[in-house]
Amino acid sequence: MELIRKTKDNISQISALVEKNVKLQLRYKFGLVTSFTISIVSILMPLIIMGNLFQTRPQIGNWNSTNFVIYQFLAYNIFLMRDMTSIFPQQFRQEKYWKTLPALIIGPFNRLNLLLGIFLSHLIVISVPFITFFLLGLFFYPISFITAMFLIILFFIVALVLSGIGLILGIFAISNENIWRILNFLLYFVFWFSCITYPYEIFPQFIQNIINLNPLYYLFDILRLTWIQDNIIITILTYPFHFILLFLLAVLLPLIGIYIFNLIYKKYGITGY
Amino acid sequence: MKNSIIKTENLSKEFKLKGKNRVIKALNNINIEINDGEIFGLLGPNGAGKTTLIKILTTISQPTSGGACVGGYDVIKEPKKVKPLIGLMLEGELLYYRITGYDNLKFFCKIYKVPNYDQKIKAIAKEFGLNKWLNEYVGKFSSGMKMKLALARTLLLDRDILFLDEPTLGLDVKSIDMIVNKLKNLNRTIFMTSHDMNVVEKLCDRIAFIINGEILKIGEKEEIKKLSNDEVRINVTLNNHYADLRAELEQTSFIKQVTYSTPTLKFILEDRTNFNDLISILGKYDIRSISEKQPTLEELFLSLLNHNSE
Repeated sequence: MELIRKTKDNISQISALVEKNVKLQLRYKFGLVTSFTISIVSILMPLIIMGNLFQTRPQIGNWNSTNFVIYQFLAYNIFLMRDMTSIFPQQFRQEKYWKTLPALIIGPFNRLNLLLGIFLSHLIVISVPFITFFLLGLFFYPISFITAMFLIILFFIVALVLSGIGLILGIFAISNENIWRILNFLLYFVFWFSCITYPYEIFPQFIQNIINLNPLYYLFDILRLTWIQDNIIITILTYPFHFILLFLLAVLLPLIGIYIFNLIYKKYGITGY
Repeated sequence: MKNSIIKTENLSKEFKLKGKNRVIKALNNINIEINDGEIFGLLGPNGAGKTTLIKILTTISQPTSGGACVGGYDVIKEPKKVKPLIGLMLEGELLYYRITGYDNLKFFCKIYKVPNYDQKIKAIAKEFGLNKWLNEYVGKFSSGMKMKLALARTLLLDRDILFLDEPTLGLDVKSIDMIVNKLKNLNRTIFMTSHDMNVVEKLCDRIAFIINGEILKIGEKEEIKKLSNDEVRINVTLNNHYADLRAELEQTSFIKQVTYSTPTLKFILEDRTNFNDLISILGKYDIRSISEKQPTLEELFLSLLNHNSE
């Protein structure tokens, strides 16, 4: 009974946080629409360039002129998910400047609820463009229902990993802005070397070596491979490292984020205005 | 005998400043004890340490040394037990400007598990004169309305111990009166800070003065008020002979700080017991008006500082 009551309380609190965050984000709707449009612009250039390249080289790795559109539609959804890394700093900084963070911190709820609230609200906000591009992908390159559902789960796990990164960035955004800026700068390169919009095979060898060291590359790559192989078992058996890394990061990064959140917030508080 | 519900023991908080080994003591060995149901006022100038103290007592910040208990629980070791007991209005509003007043109140009610919140929100909004504005974005509210909404939020949560940082800042006289009456009849333990001497005087059972992180004086309201009664600030306007009176006052032992600002002579009578002697001096002159000026909070602070250094 106690467990049921606690679960109900947690769900009620998370739903309150989600409702509030969604309303805050929808206050200026055009900002939201433009952020979705910028992601479309980001995938247009690779589509044009790769489209030309495929005329001279019909196959680059797993990709050709037929299935490359999936690469870009997935890239669009990855861009939407990538915003997880900025939504935490943005939300925390807003709360910091509005001075609402203390009211939340002394709230009688688990800090995990606060983080889940931000995570879920962003998923809700991006759900419309995400589903649109996912359906477009299914239209251009159909896959089985089971693979599509599995992909949704994979996207959710990728979102968890990115929210873990976002959480760590968010903590520094309100406690030490210098460190936040440096981490943001480094993250820019991590994303740059993660083959979101261009396939691994077109890069020169020394860049490929750098990409091989980037965990995010494997996370994004498994989404694409699952789609074009359209056979979950074969994909898992062929790329076990990708999946292990994905699940490991999905558990570790949010936990590290929460640990740092508790440590830094309590010890150093919110500084700098 | 009443239970102490808030207690601090040698509570200190230091902040490191830029540069090597530069440390500022925001709180220095604070020892206070507040009883159940008591309304306690903490007065002090900007940067005195009022908000820092509230932040530690509400588990937001940790002290450098010393300890504190709220509701019988240690704020450092048992913050999870302290949180359900406390309501906070800190550094102004703690409101989301980009959602409506109703959504703000609803959000916090859900987080704090307030039952039947819809009715309660509407009732308190009516009481605070916010009902017409409840469905507007808070960003459109005036500063006074924001303050009322913030206070309404804190009171809606129905906590046993309330920490209110400047709860009447920016409010008009009528609103202040309403809020003072509301808080007085709440039957809760209230720890509040304020610059408004009138509010503190009407509301608080006990008062403490904090300056540079140290409690200079703590006591019953009457006891504190007595401090301002020792010295009397007097303004005198004459028809003529200002210079003569000024010279005479400057030579009088129980008079200090004689200043002249057209058309008034201002001075401090060190003790009320010398009042008759003063009247006999003033009787020799053609006095147009004489008035006793109530000390401002700042003057009381200065007076306290002088007492402290003596």
